[in-house]
Amino acid sequence: MALVDDVKTLIEEALPGSTVEVVDEGGGDHLRVNVTASQFDGLSLIDQHKLVKTAVRERSDTGELHSLSIKTATP
Amino acid sequence: MTEPALKEKVEELIRDNPVLLLMKGTPESPGCGNSMRAVAAIEPYGVEYAALDVLPALEPLRDATGEIADWRTFPQLYVNGELVGGADIVEEMHESGELGELLGARPSADAPAPTEPQAERPVTQSPPMQIDNS
Repeated sequence: MALVDDVKTLIEEALPGSTVEVVDEGGGDHLRVNVTASQFDGLSLIDQHKLVKTAVRERSDTGELHSLSIKTATP
Repeated sequence: MTEPALKEKVEELIRDNPVLLLMKGTPESPGCGNSMRAVAAIEPYGVEYAALDVLPALEPLRDATGEIADWRTFPQLYVNGELVGGADIVEEMHESGELGELLGARPSADAPAPTEPQAERPVTQSPPMQIDNS
């Protein structure tokens, strides 16, 4: 599975009901994600980003995902 | 498992520097695009900040900040002892005005036209740090 699809699936599974858009910013391992999720409601930006980073942690740790730029929003 | 001495050293830096940027490279010569973005977001406020180059001990520092702040990527901006975020968050807060509130300063672009010559750029301090990788 391409990393782009994989990352999308991982975030959607971690944040059920979320809307996730993944954009390849270069080389297939520098990705940008736009995540809209009700789970972000009331959380600081740092905690919102942590939820996303935790969801893809296994891909970051292996080095497959080199760089992830995150933009979060609530519905 | 993080070497306790390194974790303590990082905690000390966070505690002792009201504005601290852990980054790849230096503000003058950032070592990656995201560290460059963070510097570019902070610089307009003209506040003094400490910058630490994490590249000499990247993996140990990932582990240390993972334990301290649950954040393993760089850059990381700390203000008054709290992790604010990485490049995305710092940039977003710069654009929304929240970063100015947090730093208690206004970006130079929004400041009234100076009546005197611009002050010299604030000196950034890079705390020296020796990492024993043996």
